Amino acid sequence: MSWAVTGTGAVASVGRNPGELFANLCAGVSGVGKLKGFDLSRHEAVFAYEVDDRPETGADVPRRATALLIDAIGQAARDAGLDERDLSGVPILIGTGLRELRSVELWQRDGIEFPPQDLHFGTALREACNADDTHTFSNACSAGLYALALATDLLEAGTAETVIVAGVDVLTETMYGLLERVQPVPPERVRPFDRNRAGVLMGEGAAAVVLTRTPAAGQKAHGVVRSVAVNCDAFHVTAPDPVGIAEAIREAQSRVGLKPKDIDLVMVHGTGTLLNDEAEAIALADAFGEDADKPLMTAIKSMTGHTSGASGLLNLVVTLNALAEGRVPPTVGLEDPVDEAAGFRLVTGEAARAPLAVAQLNAFGFGGVNAVAIVEAAR
Amino acid sequence: MNVVVSGTGVVLSRAASAVELIEPGPADAPPVEPKDLIGRKGLRYKDRATQLAYCAARAALRDAALVDDDGGLTVAAGSVAVVVSSNYGNIDTITRAMDTITRETAAAGSPMDLPNASSNVVASSVAIRFGLRGPNLMLCNGATSGLDALRWGANLIRAGRVTRALVLGVEPDNEAVRAFVGGARTVDGAVAVVLESEEAAADRGVPALAALGGAVRGAGLAASLAKLDDAAGERPALWQVPEADALPEGLLDGVPRQDLGARFGLASGALGILQCAAAAGWFARGGAGPVYASAGGDADDASAGLVLLRPAAA
Repeated sequence: MSWAVTGTGAVASVGRNPGELFANLCAGVSGVGKLKGFDLSRHEAVFAYEVDDRPETGADVPRRATALLIDAIGQAARDAGLDERDLSGVPILIGTGLRELRSVELWQRDGIEFPPQDLHFGTALREACNADDTHTFSNACSAGLYALALATDLLEAGTAETVIVAGVDVLTETMYGLLERVQPVPPERVRPFDRNRAGVLMGEGAAAVVLTRTPAAGQKAHGVVRSVAVNCDAFHVTAPDPVGIAEAIREAQSRVGLKPKDIDLVMVHGTGTLLNDEAEAIALADAFGEDADKPLMTAIKSMTGHTSGASGLLNLVVTLNALAEGRVPPTVGLEDPVDEAAGFRLVTGEAARAPLAVAQLNAFGFGGVNAVAIVEAAR
Repeated sequence: MNVVVSGTGVVLSRAASAVELIEPGPADAPPVEPKDLIGRKGLRYKDRATQLAYCAARAALRDAALVDDDGGLTVAAGSVAVVVSSNYGNIDTITRAMDTITRETAAAGSPMDLPNASSNVVASSVAIRFGLRGPNLMLCNGATSGLDALRWGANLIRAGRVTRALVLGVEPDNEAVRAFVGGARTVDGAVAVVLESEEAAADRGVPALAALGGAVRGAGLAASLAKLDDAAGERPALWQVPEADALPEGLLDGVPRQDLGARFGLASGALGILQCAAAAGWFARGGAGPVYASAGGDADDASAGLVLLRPAAA
């Protein structure tokens, strides 16, 4: 099966729309900077990839995740020719790692008003877009691609003609602070697959796509989603398992009859943590076998940071641009690949140019929740 | 494909089975102690929501004969999805960790809180404890979240991704949650059901306890009920009402109502699954005719509805 992407939207630290984001990523522009919304005296780490939309630096405001989400959905809806003010009846599936938990933190610390019904995104989307079929999935860092999988199921079953899939996350201070406790040296940037990587840094962003069963006559498509495989390692709450990841990769390919040699580009999860990159590289080497040196690979978290629930769909929006233009952003900061990835064609230095037809997207999350998608260029 | 309920697990202070949801114990029953139900092993560092979920998951998996007496799975690990619904599951971890950062610094935080800071910790922890390797979903979707979770569980089965899904709802009661929701006490419990393709349950020789009928969703309770009428084609014998301060007049007049939130405490993300288990209990006690489950009222972003059928009529 294949589902046309008729609209895209994105916002991240390095771009406020899909075009700007892709151009910046291809130019190697990183969104890393010093923390803008936390009290720096509380933290040893100081870097993150934040969207610069706060009224003033150092003072945080609630509902930023909601605002980014509505921005991305609006972009995607307009791009697809939908009325962004009336999305009633259109299922909107939202993947997120941290929901509006930053607002809960501000409620706890500062006593701001924050009603329980604003914790999920449906309340704001009803108000902004008249949406009445919204679903907030809190599926850690694979939430975006998990939501994409569920959307393809709705389209395949014929219960919906059009589905909007979105992902969003902003920094929470608790997640940021707890990551400091498990990363001995605070990283200054995310360096996926590099031998000298120090760990992950959180990023902020949102992305949205409009998926359609059958595009209207003459309607352009950015590309097509072919399959999304989802599973769970059932192994560990924070450590990934290469076995579960490799299974998800194989399933995503075999669902549409593809082999590793058919994949031109792999958008790796690549968080820059010691555990993820090693597990992901082992799984890729296992699943691709002798073809592991064929596809180009890159990790945009080197420039966006780890945008958690948004990351899978930011990857999707970037991938659609890459397939359309035959251009792949580099993995910034990757100089000396780990042994497990030494045989891969990782794009480093400058953007690569190549004819591309089929891409694979990886996303994995805490708890071993894995999602792998196969995407093709528009024909 | 028909989807049925092939097992239930109920872990509330006043009810330990689907039938007890219909005939609950005394209102002053003591809170659930997870260690008394499943032993201490593996409970350390787990938040209360996860501990309660472990108890309900084990009960439902046993009831559906998916685990044997030794706790081993009787079916393929990849054939079971996990779908969990909770709105307030990790609010206690977030507020406590935030308080530590504010009063001291991030360096004073406990690394053991890291997994609990991710809202999907309940769903993935249940998968790990019972070795369930199918798709793993965590819904935090407000008032409709529980009924939505049932719909997604059924969708995963109908899409052929899995044969069965453990669908679980949980809301813990603690100071942080009480403060966040404005003082109300939640159910402080967990309820799970196993959804399964009718054929697969029959092949395993496991009786269906209820069958899933049409599922609807939309803005407003009245509109949602109208869609349920279309889906059911039959007047309900029981209406499980949403949690709302007051229901509008003139809805399903004369149909007996069941208000599970009023009976057991604020169910929030667990409500839909509580309703599903209660319908199974009601059928077991001789209830016939379709049950309408409704979650989300006119003050919420949407209202969801589900028709639950006595298994013989499925």
